[in-house]
Amino acid sequence: MRPDTWHLFVDPDILKFFAGGLGQTLLISAAAIVISCVLGLALALARMSRAALLRWPATFVVEVIRALPVYLLIVYFGIKGSSLGQPFFGPEFDVSRFWGGVIGLSLYTSAVLAEIIRAGILSLPRGQTEAARALGLNYPRMMRWIILPQALRLMVPAMMSQLTTIIKDTSLVGQIGVFELYRSARIIYTQNFNPIEALLFVAVIYFVICFVLSQLSRRLELGNQTARRVREAVLRDQVA
Amino acid sequence: MPGGIIFEFPDQYLFPSGLWLTVQLSVVSLLGSLVVGTVIALFRVAPLAPFRWVGTAYVEFFRNTPLLVQLFFLFFGAPLIGIRFSTDPFEFNFRAALLGLALYHAAYVAEVIRGGLLGVDHGQIEAARSLGLSYTQMLRYIQLPQSFRSVIPPLGNIFTALVKNTSLATTIGVAELLNAGEVVESRTFRAIEAYGAVALLYLALVLPLAAGVNWLERKLQVAR
Repeated sequence: MRPDTWHLFVDPDILKFFAGGLGQTLLISAAAIVISCVLGLALALARMSRAALLRWPATFVVEVIRALPVYLLIVYFGIKGSSLGQPFFGPEFDVSRFWGGVIGLSLYTSAVLAEIIRAGILSLPRGQTEAARALGLNYPRMMRWIILPQALRLMVPAMMSQLTTIIKDTSLVGQIGVFELYRSARIIYTQNFNPIEALLFVAVIYFVICFVLSQLSRRLELGNQTARRVREAVLRDQVA
Repeated sequence: MPGGIIFEFPDQYLFPSGLWLTVQLSVVSLLGSLVVGTVIALFRVAPLAPFRWVGTAYVEFFRNTPLLVQLFFLFFGAPLIGIRFSTDPFEFNFRAALLGLALYHAAYVAEVIRGGLLGVDHGQIEAARSLGLSYTQMLRYIQLPQSFRSVIPPLGNIFTALVKNTSLATTIGVAELLNAGEVVESRTFRAIEAYGAVALLYLALVLPLAAGVNWLERKLQVAR
């Protein structure tokens, strides 16, 4: 404990430094969410496809990625991202730690989101699909106008609570050398030898964001049995 | 041969010993989190409000902050306030990781056990109390045993996640599975093989576990 360093946490310049870290954390989370929503939807639809050539690879990818530690993916793509792409894009190809980490985090998140989306779609009554088909809607239109709008409402609480997991996991991207909230605490405490104070400070910031999100998710889910079942499909992936 | 790199360091046994350390970390910190989690769950359902506040504060704090921050907090913070896990540095790192993993997952365990306790029919509790059992006797003989069945599958889910989360122990210098991969990669520069081997070994741990949990879930559902 270094009580003599407490003034650091009210110093406007240092607070600005932490705010920069927080901004990066939110940026990493936002990038990961955008990428994994697209990829997750594609994986979910492929996994529920009638074509075995789509269904089997998608099932394999989702199950394998969900069974890997997210930190392994972040380390691998964050550090080795460039050399992975070089055989395909030439020796000049370079991925920054930031984007490598985002890719690792997004891959894991898209596997989880694929499970959320699949659970959401499967929890709709079959009659919805049948009615849409009977009305002559083709597959993309049925998804766009009938299935996804209804399923999305059921997925919102599960996605919100996945969001808290993503925000916590961005600290792992910091661990491979990307500047973000946890990294900013690390920089402060390696210079001032006050890990207790600095880590508690960022822990409180993480807590406020994640607590608000998880309360919101719980509020939205309240009394909605189907939404609860959608979230239970990924319960194991949200212990991270 | 894919995965052949696992056996290429026979003098060091890096991958086998890393795997063994991962298994040790998982099992011991699971046991720790079951003990702490049960205590916190009892706090969460206690008849006295201050106990419930303590339980809620624990669960919400540990669930809503990153495990990585908690691990580093223990790793750097504990010695500064006079807690030394061990004088041996390797043992120190290992024990810090054990404690960090146990405390973090205890919050999730507590929520599962609390759900199980609240799921027991209230008439059971009233009947036990009116038969003259004390509150602790009622917990011991009526409420805890009856909640046992419903908490097993979700606890299995937490264990699956716990095995994956042990990979964070490498950040505080525990030579577990991911650490073995990092060491081999830095020696050989064969990243795809080294991390591929790590991934295969994690899959070998996690996939059977997840399948087992799924099977249990279905079996207990049918039996109910």
